[in-house]
Amino acid sequence: MKQLVFVVLCFALFFSLVSAKTVEIWSWRTQDAEVWQVVQKNLRAKGEDITIDFRAFIPTEYDAKLFLALQGGTGPDIAYIRRLPGGRTQALVEGKLIKPLDQAIDFSNFSESVQKNVTMDARLWGVPFAVQVCGIFYNEDIFKENKLSEPRTWDEMLEICKVLKAKGIDPFFCTAKEDWTLTMQHAMCGVSILGPAWIKRLTEGKVDFLDQDWIYLQTLLNDLKVYYQDGYMGNDTNDMNAAFAFGQAAMVFYGAWGYQTWKELNPDINVGYFMVPPDWEGDNAYAYIYMDGAFSLTSIAKNPTDAMKVLKYTATPEFGTIFTGITANIPAVNGAIMPDIPLLKEVMDAGANWASPYVYWVGSPFVVQQPSLYDGVLSPGMQAMYMGQITPTELAQRAQDALSQWYKPLMRKLGKIK
Amino acid sequence: MSCKIRYILLFTIPALSLYTLFVIYPFGYSLFLSFFKWSGAGPKLFVGLDNFKSILFGRMSQEFINALLHNFYFFALNALCELGVAFLIAIVLASRIWGQRFFRTIVYLPNVISMVLVGFIWVMMLNPQWGLINQVLKAVGLKHLAQPWLGQPKTALTTVILVNVWRNIGFYILVFLAAIIGIPNDIFDAAYIDGAKNWRVIWKIIFPMTFSTFQTLLILIFIWSFNIFDVVYSLAGVQAGPVRSTDVLGTVFYRTAFGGLGSSGQDYGLGAAIVVLIFLMVIPLSMIYALMMDRRKRVE
Repeated sequence: MKQLVFVVLCFALFFSLVSAKTVEIWSWRTQDAEVWQVVQKNLRAKGEDITIDFRAFIPTEYDAKLFLALQGGTGPDIAYIRRLPGGRTQALVEGKLIKPLDQAIDFSNFSESVQKNVTMDARLWGVPFAVQVCGIFYNEDIFKENKLSEPRTWDEMLEICKVLKAKGIDPFFCTAKEDWTLTMQHAMCGVSILGPAWIKRLTEGKVDFLDQDWIYLQTLLNDLKVYYQDGYMGNDTNDMNAAFAFGQAAMVFYGAWGYQTWKELNPDINVGYFMVPPDWEGDNAYAYIYMDGAFSLTSIAKNPTDAMKVLKYTATPEFGTIFTGITANIPAVNGAIMPDIPLLKEVMDAGANWASPYVYWVGSPFVVQQPSLYDGVLSPGMQAMYMGQITPTELAQRAQDALSQWYKPLMRKLGKIK
Repeated sequence: MSCKIRYILLFTIPALSLYTLFVIYPFGYSLFLSFFKWSGAGPKLFVGLDNFKSILFGRMSQEFINALLHNFYFFALNALCELGVAFLIAIVLASRIWGQRFFRTIVYLPNVISMVLVGFIWVMMLNPQWGLINQVLKAVGLKHLAQPWLGQPKTALTTVILVNVWRNIGFYILVFLAAIIGIPNDIFDAAYIDGAKNWRVIWKIIFPMTFSTFQTLLILIFIWSFNIFDVVYSLAGVQAGPVRSTDVLGTVFYRTAFGGLGSSGQDYGLGAAIVVLIFLMVIPLSMIYALMMDRRKRVE
């Protein structure tokens, strides 16, 4: 009997020691699994005996799973969190489900603009991991074969579309089945067509959604649909990845994160990038960039000491190098060595020099409450406009009606509040 | 008597405990949550009946009513196709046709495939550019009929329902088959000796004698139609597009409680209120129908 108790105790001790060294990480990004394997290997090489247990969930279910788990006292040591401001991460902070990191981690490798996306109540709540850049990605081989070059204006882009269409090539592959991509398209066109100055005025409540410029942008987009593939309302991003990777369409409105998938599908593809061209020659084109998310320490972490070691590592350029090398995403941390991918350098350059300081999609004040400009208005509204159910003016009216319910600068402009 | 009560309690408590744990408690908690505003983290804010007001008369009313009407359409078309077609196929399978056993097995096959896989298969088949359905239509000279089945409001919901019918019809066929086989052969023999034709046998013998099966399955379809979620989720996604044309109460609940992609309106209280409303709709109708059935049986 004594022997049995001894064996049981030994096993219990062994398992408690093993589990004490495990850091559990939850994410919505399946593509990061390899990153954490390399991080684990590198930490072990530095003498840290840490096992990383990485688990990815469906993006749409991730936040709910995380909230319920943390609320119930279970869940990961480290959680991927969304950017701030935003209802979901704000709720995690207010519910004291994640811990501030500014006193434990050196954030000197992050720019102030990046830090702003994890700051709330003057504290930093996560280590940012990626900056995403959106724009138009094109198949360089198709452009070369048809003697086309990157357009400088919207009209030049339409000319390219005409040439491609006449040759039987789909100029754009649109993924209207996934309505969020339509909002992204609207937003990335907005920074160049409307310009940051106009969006600043919208943010401050000096212009509203019924402004002619806003309606004009939507008219341009509505007119562009003749250059999308047949049946585009039934296509999603999986279809787009395959069609674009194998040269069935020349251009896509998308984000830099797509590059990894296109290359995996077709290693021979040559992808180019340009910012959505402005309407007038002489105006600047802008890139839509946003901080994707951050790693945060949960308040119920079973192994906070090792979790903090992992988090400290993610705040180093070394981690940035691993991250960008595997995912081909732009790391949020400065000083990382970028892989030798010309597209990534071009995208980074656009992000560094031509990022619009004012935006109205991800990372903007227009999406922090319901009905939000994002999934409340533009996502279903753009689908409806593309299908001819509503006009660009009616879509503008929808935005006005929705945002005037809660967006204070707009409410002030309309005289709803003082 | 006291001894009997003790035994009754002894034997019912395990089942009752499980029922309480997995049915009564979750529903009770949902009811409780429906009076609060709660994002899933932090304190719950008591809002009284505001969640119900918002769903029925407020900013969510349009979305809710749109989804509710889709649930009714789902029920109607589902019932028509699944019961009607399943009944006819069951009659064919009950007769002495060649390969009877093979067909009896094969009709149930889609039912054993998980809905996620069904969604994956049909999304590929219905792809506007390279999907099998459109390719076949083009190959047989019906190019004008090829279209983005899941990408336009006029066809999306019907397509989703038909995929659901494809997946579930095997179950209904087997139930009808069992009911038809259960009819004594003497009745058929007598009918044929009296000169009855096949359609008359179906209408005057098989249909009346399987009517109770119809009633039972209709109730089940009604309940399942109001709890439908997985087929919409796997074919049209959580946004139930295009333009919410495939939205049902299940997807409205999901988006509200768990948040859609990019959603900032996560609220478990609002989601719980939707669940309570679904319950309130399904239960009385089911009870009325069950009572009607019971009364009919007594009359018979």
